[in-house]
Order: sequence, then structure tokens, then C-alpha cells
Amino acid sequence: MSERYDVAVVGAGVVGCAVAREFSRYRLRTILIEARSDLGDGASKGNSAILSTGSDTPFGTLENRLVTRGHQRYRAEAPAMGLPILSVGSLTVAWNEAQAASLAEMHRATVAAGYRSAELVDRDAIYRRVPSLAPGALAAMWEPEEAIVDPFSTPYAYALDAVTNGVEFRSSSAVSSALREEAGWTLSTATGAVACGLVVNCGGLWGDKVDALAGLADFAIRPRRGEFMVFDKSARPLLDVILKPVPSPTYRGVLMAPTAFGNVLLGPTAEDIDDPDDWRVTRDGLAKLDAAARAMMPALLDHDVTAIYCGVRPATERPEYRIAAHRDRRWITVGGIRSTGLSGALGIAEHVAALAFDGMLRAERKAELAPVRVPSLLEGGERPWRDAARVARDPAYGEMVCHCEGVSMGEIRDALASPLAPRTLKALKRRTRAMFGRCQGFFCGARVQAAFEHASRRAAE
Amino acid sequence: MSAIETDCAIVGAGPAGLAAARAAIDGGVRSVLVIDRDDAPGGLPRFCRHPGFGWEYTRRLETGPGLVRRLIGALDPARVQIRTGTTVQALHAGPRLEILSSGAGAATVHAKAVILATGIRERPRTARLVPGRRPERGILTTGQLQQMIARGVPLHGKRLVVVGTEHVAFSVLLTARHAGLSVVAMVEAEDRPMSYAPVATLVRCIAGVPIHATTRISDIHGETCVSGVEIESPEGRRVIPCDAVVFSGDFVPDSPLARSAGLTLDPATGGPQVDQIGRTSAPCVFAAGNLLRAVESSGFAAIEGARVGAATAAFLGGRIGWRGQVSTIAIAPQFRYVVPQCWSFEVPGLATLPTSLRVGADLDSARVGLRHDQALLWRGPVRRLLRHRRIRVPLSSLSTRLPGSISLVATPRDHP
Repeated sequence: MSERYDVAVVGAGVVGCAVAREFSRYRLRTILIEARSDLGDGASKGNSAILSTGSDTPFGTLENRLVTRGHQRYRAEAPAMGLPILSVGSLTVAWNEAQAASLAEMHRATVAAGYRSAELVDRDAIYRRVPSLAPGALAAMWEPEEAIVDPFSTPYAYALDAVTNGVEFRSSSAVSSALREEAGWTLSTATGAVACGLVVNCGGLWGDKVDALAGLADFAIRPRRGEFMVFDKSARPLLDVILKPVPSPTYRGVLMAPTAFGNVLLGPTAEDIDDPDDWRVTRDGLAKLDAAARAMMPALLDHDVTAIYCGVRPATERPEYRIAAHRDRRWITVGGIRSTGLSGALGIAEHVAALAFDGMLRAERKAELAPVRVPSLLEGGERPWRDAARVARDPAYGEMVCHCEGVSMGEIRDALASPLAPRTLKALKRRTRAMFGRCQGFFCGARVQAAFEHASRRAAE
Repeated sequence: MSAIETDCAIVGAGPAGLAAARAAIDGGVRSVLVIDRDDAPGGLPRFCRHPGFGWEYTRRLETGPGLVRRLIGALDPARVQIRTGTTVQALHAGPRLEILSSGAGAATVHAKAVILATGIRERPRTARLVPGRRPERGILTTGQLQQMIARGVPLHGKRLVVVGTEHVAFSVLLTARHAGLSVVAMVEAEDRPMSYAPVATLVRCIAGVPIHATTRISDIHGETCVSGVEIESPEGRRVIPCDAVVFSGDFVPDSPLARSAGLTLDPATGGPQVDQIGRTSAPCVFAAGNLLRAVESSGFAAIEGARVGAATAAFLGGRIGWRGQVSTIAIAPQFRYVVPQCWSFEVPGLATLPTSLRVGADLDSARVGLRHDQALLWRGPVRRLLRHRRIRVPLSSLSTRLPGSISLVATPRDHP
């Protein structure tokens, strides 16, 4: 065995990346192990990109505490990493008397739980904010702190921060077995064995299977598929807030939101499935979304759909986080993160570190950290090609390749040269947005793919 | 940031833009700058190496690249500059264009007139709401496939399923054969192919490619690469193994620049609204070619380009002014759109855009009429009107008329 790690984080979704970043703050040898070829390639790649305040999670639960904390930390730490936060606010809209009654109750409970900026607004205020909303809204709860973020750059920024500060990242390394040893574990992975003193299972959709390797069977993943539509940027003027329905106890409903990239997003549906790898967009799902748009904002349907996708959420038999520290086993399970991983990740990471330092691990905090900054992919945001001086210094930023999303060859080159270089076309899309736009590669696909293959060949040599 | 002065800036170096450049020069414009964001001029035809391009304009059967060579060869390099690899980031009043390229960086172009000829793209799988998995390789449009072949970007397999049967679908067939790929099936949601019947028959009988009508794709298989598609027809569902599914046709104007510049767009075409010589709602900004609507042939787009180029020359030469009062051409509900959308009565003696009129649904037997105020100016023959065929209307008969209302009507055969 060549080396030994203090901590092995299994799973590089948004939560695993945040946890690895947390440990990178300490004098520890940490490894982040991912089964797939890219980070953020499971549940983290298909969400609604909303940074929730936590007010939509059950009050008094660990999930509520960690999402609320995650939101606070995101606001404090994300901007320095170059991650955008669009504080557009959300309106939870009641369309009938029964919903209006439960909305009033919801508002009372929300304020009582400490989310003091939540306010009930009347019909006129709703239509002032969203003139194209379908008629018939009765009342809404306005939450000004709910925000939109970049769901792809977020786990990337966490992982890049972790790696820049000493964490080792190993992709395409599915863990096949875990052997308990005196001082920890030896994990067999597809790219070799990893010996470590503590395992943090952030396996997401496969979290129960990872736990099973250690003989644990505390929960079972019940994958929940949610389908989404992303509308053309031409629809963006229709909507400048997050629109949510009043949730039922089992389903939060289809929401509508702007995206950081200048589109309008609609979703998710919710469907329990058996196979966590069943990433199919279905005709039923699309029909449900179409019906939801028709009910909430028919004008949206005048615009073309740019993307359809689904996310699969790592729900379990119980509607709560399944985070457990198995001290005697030197194993921490971070399971059942459901649909709140993006908002909760930094809160979860802090909590996990606290569990680890409570008897399983000792380490000093580093005095100095290397800062990281990821490129902004925000629509209308700062881009290298907007800066004439930068283009003059580096002409590749003037060579636009993806016209729908505004991506230059220089930005693609930079992404391919990252220490966390994308190994698939989809990963390249998530890093740069190239081919993510309305033409889906009609204009740019051949050139982007050529650049990708070229870089991959060079990396292989 | 450097500033460039030109009489006429043309955005898009496809058939319409290149033909417009030639006509503008012929009409006396001293300097023309043609800007294209791709790395070579030619637009979509440059990736189609089979014959069938430009007929209406050149009266020759050219290949795509052949047509492009001819159009470029007709330009005097002393007066027409073509800048490729150059993106127009914004079009402002003036007109003023903000451009960006790797060679020259950011620059501003001050033009006396602008012609937008940004062309079309195909609607991809997502916009067509086709369910199934989303493998990163093998879900293509014909535009992407043709570019991949032309640029030597390898496809991971050889078996294609083509969705759609517009003319372009048959273009894929030719391109694919040339590249050693095989089309294993064509799928059409309508009950018959949307191209010319003899073409479809040839494909079926000679090339041996099955055309599945009244069929849609109900699922796409494959994790990283497409491995097959499930098709659904009245006969049921079945899976066709394949390496790529190519979404063809279903073109739309690529109009983000026109939209961001604030031009009035026609919701029915998705392109800018123009009068009969291509003047848009923005002063000094013309538009031509398939940007006006999807889709006509490359030769048709070139003719439009040439007429708009000539009109631009007339405008820059002071022979006509900018568009004043226009009459909107009202269309009967059977029609999907008409281009031009409006008519300026004050324009004397200029060749007008050929009319693009299309029905929204096939009409078995009808005749089209052109009305000016109460008078019926023209009446077409009784005929079948098909969605995918352009209906010719001699709008130019309006040019001798005084200002008034204009409408296009469709009457069933038995109507008096």
C-alpha cells in the first residue's frame, strides 16, 4: 500500500465535494473517491438549482437545521469562489381557498420557526410581481431570500477548492469492498486500494450500497425521479421570481424558476422508481409539466423548450436525512439527502466534520488556504470575451464556439486544462455550458467535440 | 477597441448574405463587410457535399460547397470583405455592430445599412419533447452530423435512424452514404413523407431504407452512446438498434440577434417582420434569406438575398427612403404565415421578395386570392395546398396600386 489517508470521502456529489472541502481546512490526508468519471454526476446533476433558506423543510429536523446553515454559509462563502447567487425570492401561490388556508398556517409556522422575512401578500402584489401568471391566484407567501444558483459550478467549486488545498480526487473508482482494519478501513476501488482511518459515505443514490459494504443496513434508498423542462431564454422576461405551489405533505409540486443561465425552468415531477440508474425522461412526465405550465403560466408554452432532463433524488423510507456516526466502526454515513443537497451541502459538511472531530479524528486547522475561483457562467455575467483587454492578450477568448450560450474556445481550453478536467462531453457541458443552449449542438457540436477529443488524446499521451 | 466603417454590413455569409453582397455592389454600394461567426463562409450548404443547391439562383445543379465557391467567386475582393470567425455580439441603432474575433479582438462596426442573413437551425430533440435517455453521444441534428462529417469528427458507430422526411432528411442520406454510414430507418410522424413523393420512393426502393410513417420515437436507449430507439406507430412499439438518432428538418430562424436588437418579430415565422424589399422595423436594418422563415431552398434564399441587396443599394444611393407607412398583409386563418408580412406602397420599381405563403394544415382543394381593398387583384388556380409547399402569389401586382388594405384569402373550390 503506497499511502494511507486519514479520511476517505466516498461519492463526489455536491455533498461529498463539500465534505472533502471541509476536511481540506485541516491538516489531514483526505481522498475523495468517485465511482463515475466526473464529480456531480448523480443526484447533483438534476435539481431545480434553488438555494433554499430551509423554510421548506420540516421544522425541528436535522435537515431543516443543516439546510438553513447551508444557506447561510453559501451566502458567506460562495461569492468568493466565483459562484453567483441571484436573490430573486420566491412566491408560494395558493390557487383555492383550501390552499389559502394552509398557506396562512404555513406562513405562521414559517415566521415562528425564525424565517422572519416571510410575508403573506395579496393578489395584487402577486400580479405586480408576475404579470403573466395565470388568473386565479388568491394569495401567496413571499420569501425574499430564496435564491437561484449555478448547480453545476457549485460541486465543481467545492471539489476544486478541496483539491487545491490538498485533497486527492480519484474518479472512475467505484468502491467494491471495504475491509475493516485495526485503525480504519481498506477500500477496494476500480483504480486500486485505499487505506484510511475514517470513511465518510456520501454515496447519494448508491449510499445504501456503500453502507452495505461495511455491514450497515440502516436505510434503503428509494429513488425518486423528477423531470424538468428548461425553456428558451426568450421566456426569461416572463419570470423574475421562483413560483412554487402550496406543498402537500408528500409532494412539493412543480415549481417554475429563472435559471442562472437566463432560462426558465419548470419541474420537478415526482415518481418513485426502483432503479437509481433509470434516468429516462418520460412522455407522462413531460405531459405533467405541460399541464403545470398551462395551469400556472400558459404564456410560457409560447416559447421553445431548450432542455429536458430528469433528476433522481436519494430519498429513503423516511422523509429525513439519514446521517449517522458509527464511531466504533470509524464510519460516517451521510444518507437520504433527498432533494436538499445543493442548499444543505455546506451545513452538512460542517456537521460531518463536527461528528468526525468528536472522537474519531484529531487535526489542526490550517492557517493558510489557497483561494479558488471558478469561471462565472451567469447569463450576462463577467466573461473573458467581454473584456477587450483579455481578448487582446489571449485571442482564444475571441473565438466564439457556442453561440447560444456564449462560450469561447479559450473558455473550453481552460476547462479542459483544469486539475478536475472533464472526462466526458456532458462534464464539459456542465463546466462551460457549451452545447447546453437552444441549438443543442447544431452549430457548435462538431467543433466542441473536436476540441474535447483533441484534449482527451493529448491527456492520454 | 477599434472602429470599422463600411457602407453595408451583412451578418451571415450563407447563400442569402453572399448573394446580397454581390447585388449591393452591383447596385453601386462602394464597400460591403460580410461577417460570419463560423470559421469559413458558406453557411449550411458548405457542409453538404451532394448536388441540389442553388438551382433557382444559378440555374445549375451545384453541390453545397460548389454553390458557395460560385457565390464567393462572384464577389470583388476590392469592395467586399468577408470576415469569418467573427461574432456579432450586439446590433445597436445607428446601425452599429459590436463584433468579436480571435484575430482582431473586439471592434465596433459603423455601417450605413445592415442586412441580417443569419439563417436557420433545426429544432433539436429537446424542443421536440422526445422522451427517453439522454446519452451524450448519438443524439444529433442533421446540421451537427453534416458538420461532424465535414470536419472529420468521428461518430462512434455507423447506424443512423433519421427522424423527419423533409428534403434535408434525404440530404442526410446522401451525406451518410458518402461517409460510410448507413441509415437504417426513417421515421415520420405524419402519414406520408414530407419531401417530393418520387424522392421518397427512390429512397425506399433503391436505397432500401424503410420509411416509417405515422410513427414517433417513444424512447431512446443508451447510457453514454445511443444504442437504439423505440418507435411507436398504430401497429405497436418496437426497438430499432442504432448508434445515432438524427433529428432532421423542423427548421426555425436563428433570430437571437434580431430579437436582442429589438426588431419586431413575426410570431408565426420566428423571424423579423419585413416589407417587400426586406426592410425590418429598425431603421437601416434589412433582413433576407431563411432568417425570414424556415425553410426555403438555398437558391430561393440567394434570390431573396440578391433582391434585398439591390434594395439596400437603392437605399444607400438615395433612390428610396426608409420604410414609412406600411400595410400589413392580412392572411386568412388557413394560412400559417406570409413573407413579406407588410407592403410599402411608396416603393417604385424595385424587384420584390418572392412571396413565401404557407398553409397551416393541408387543404385538399382551394384557391388563393389576393385582395386590395375591395378588389380581387389575383386569383390562383384550384389546387391542393400542402403545408410543406410554398404557395406562389404575385404580390408585385400591388406595386401599381394606391395605399390600401391587403389580404390573402383561401376559398374552397365550390365557392363562387
